[in-house]
Amino acid sequence: MKRSEQTAPAQGEQKKLTGKQRFRRVEPYIWIAPSVILMAVFILVPIFFVFRLSMSHVTKAGLIKDFAGFENFAKVLKTPAFGMILKNTLVWTVVVVVLSTVLGFMLALVLNNKFHGRKIARAIVVFPWATTLVIQASTWKFIIDTDFGTLNTLLLRLGIIKQAVNWTPTPEAYFGWEMACGIFVTIPFVTFCVLSGLQSIDASLYEAATVDGASYFQKLFHITLPLVRPSLTVSTVLNIIYVFNSFPIVWVITKGDPANRTDTLVTYLYKLAFYRGRQGEAAAVSVLGFLILLVCASVYMVYTLRKGDES
Amino acid sequence: MSKPDTMTLNKKPLSLKKVVLRLLLYFVVLDVCVITLYPYFAMFCTALKSRSEIFSANGTVFPIQPLWSNFIDIWKKAPMARYMLNSLIIAGGSTVIAMVCGIPAAYALSRMRFKGQTAFLGFIIVSQMFAPVVLLIGIYSVMMRLGLTDSLLGLILINAAFNQAFTVWLLRGTFMSISAEMEQAATIDGCSRVQAMLKVLLPVAAPGIVTTLIFIFINAWNEYTVALTLISSNTLKPMTVGINIFNGYDMIEWQYLFASSIFAIVPVVILFMCIEKNLVSGLASGGVKG
Repeated sequence: MKRSEQTAPAQGEQKKLTGKQRFRRVEPYIWIAPSVILMAVFILVPIFFVFRLSMSHVTKAGLIKDFAGFENFAKVLKTPAFGMILKNTLVWTVVVVVLSTVLGFMLALVLNNKFHGRKIARAIVVFPWATTLVIQASTWKFIIDTDFGTLNTLLLRLGIIKQAVNWTPTPEAYFGWEMACGIFVTIPFVTFCVLSGLQSIDASLYEAATVDGASYFQKLFHITLPLVRPSLTVSTVLNIIYVFNSFPIVWVITKGDPANRTDTLVTYLYKLAFYRGRQGEAAAVSVLGFLILLVCASVYMVYTLRKGDES
Repeated sequence: MSKPDTMTLNKKPLSLKKVVLRLLLYFVVLDVCVITLYPYFAMFCTALKSRSEIFSANGTVFPIQPLWSNFIDIWKKAPMARYMLNSLIIAGGSTVIAMVCGIPAAYALSRMRFKGQTAFLGFIIVSQMFAPVVLLIGIYSVMMRLGLTDSLLGLILINAAFNQAFTVWLLRGTFMSISAEMEQAATIDGCSRVQAMLKVLLPVAAPGIVTTLIFIFINAWNEYTVALTLISSNTLKPMTVGINIFNGYDMIEWQYLFASSIFAIVPVVILFMCIEKNLVSGLASGGVKG
């Protein structure tokens, strides 16, 4: 009893402290609450809906009837065109990401030199990144048009060609142009990521290597590449995601036609959901897309992290 | 010499190799610039042509006689002013909401320790994987329930949400690069935590904040897919969707499409050029070091 009497004021103080402490403990959650709520309602809930729709029978109006198990997935996988769409998506992602990474990296090396007009060149290079994809794609669609496209006109006027060239004789050619447009708009992002990495490299490293008689390529592979690898990893992972999910370019230029030959997963699922009213199947395509992306992104991350550990 | 520059490391004046490399460098840079600008050049020249000139068998590179009136006609042929206002409202609204939600979250992540911190960061990174286009069906269901389809507020909230990851990530990097000492001093002087953040941290972090702000604005201004799906009233369309009024199924009015495109891209390209330098350091600090 005596003891408790003695500790009473201390306890009071402690209570006061715990009140403050309790607030301290809750405080961070108040700070992050708006952000969490925003993302929960507009990202998490849609993810949940997509998964639920993919496992349900859905009416044309988008109402869920009942549980369908994996029926939607089976239907999608059985669609004859699906194999081709999947192949298109992989080709699209790999070609655009790989080529824009290589070209973007080379462009960064060039722009990292000191020369007159470097600021202007950098500002120009950023243009395709800033332009909305719909407009960029519309412009490309116009440029490559056989009959009145400006590419033919320009080449004819310059005397490089004698007759108008049909730039898009096959659906594959169209798809090739779509990939070219994709590469064109993706390069600036890679270039600027690499430039930021290059700027943090200590110039004395190069000087020391030059004194030791290292060639340009030795310096490139033994100094530059290892040091910009973190920047390249970030840009590549983000680009895999962005390019895989890219919709406007294909949509504006061909809408995935003819007969799904230029479709990627996203354009295909858009048509399924909003033109053909098959939302269950569209959701199944979405889920398949997530899974592929998850596998690609994690494989890439594990691979680069391991490589980073080794060196 | 702070930059690695293989060409100027060679100190011999007027060596042939050096001159050749210099010329090669300028040649490459010039090529890159010409190729990059070509679509814009084609767009601009076409915007100044008449319909008959575009579709004539004998095509021209430059317009025979620049038809500046195309740039005026588009405002009469389509509710361009309305589209532009919608784009402004969507981009501005998204930016405000993304910042109001993102600044406190980034502050908590950089200045406090709490359970679930890693989980929250992890969710932010994973959420990057879900582009709006793959979630469109789900987004549509949510918006139907909230009665926000075909509304600018709906687009604002979606854009803010999908830019949240980037906002929090970039701002967290910015805040972490600033020492907490000044804020602590301010708290001792009797400032509350909120006051310390507003009066001490935010002014110092202004460059990072402006970069983030402009980047969200650009993203929301350029957004196409969600607007295409959610908006059905012509008067609520943003520029990216609205200008396709000239891109009909049977007939494309290229000159008007490109004239209006120029109005849609010029403001954004200018904004982007302003933040280009900061954005790169932001990407580096937020993405790589964080």
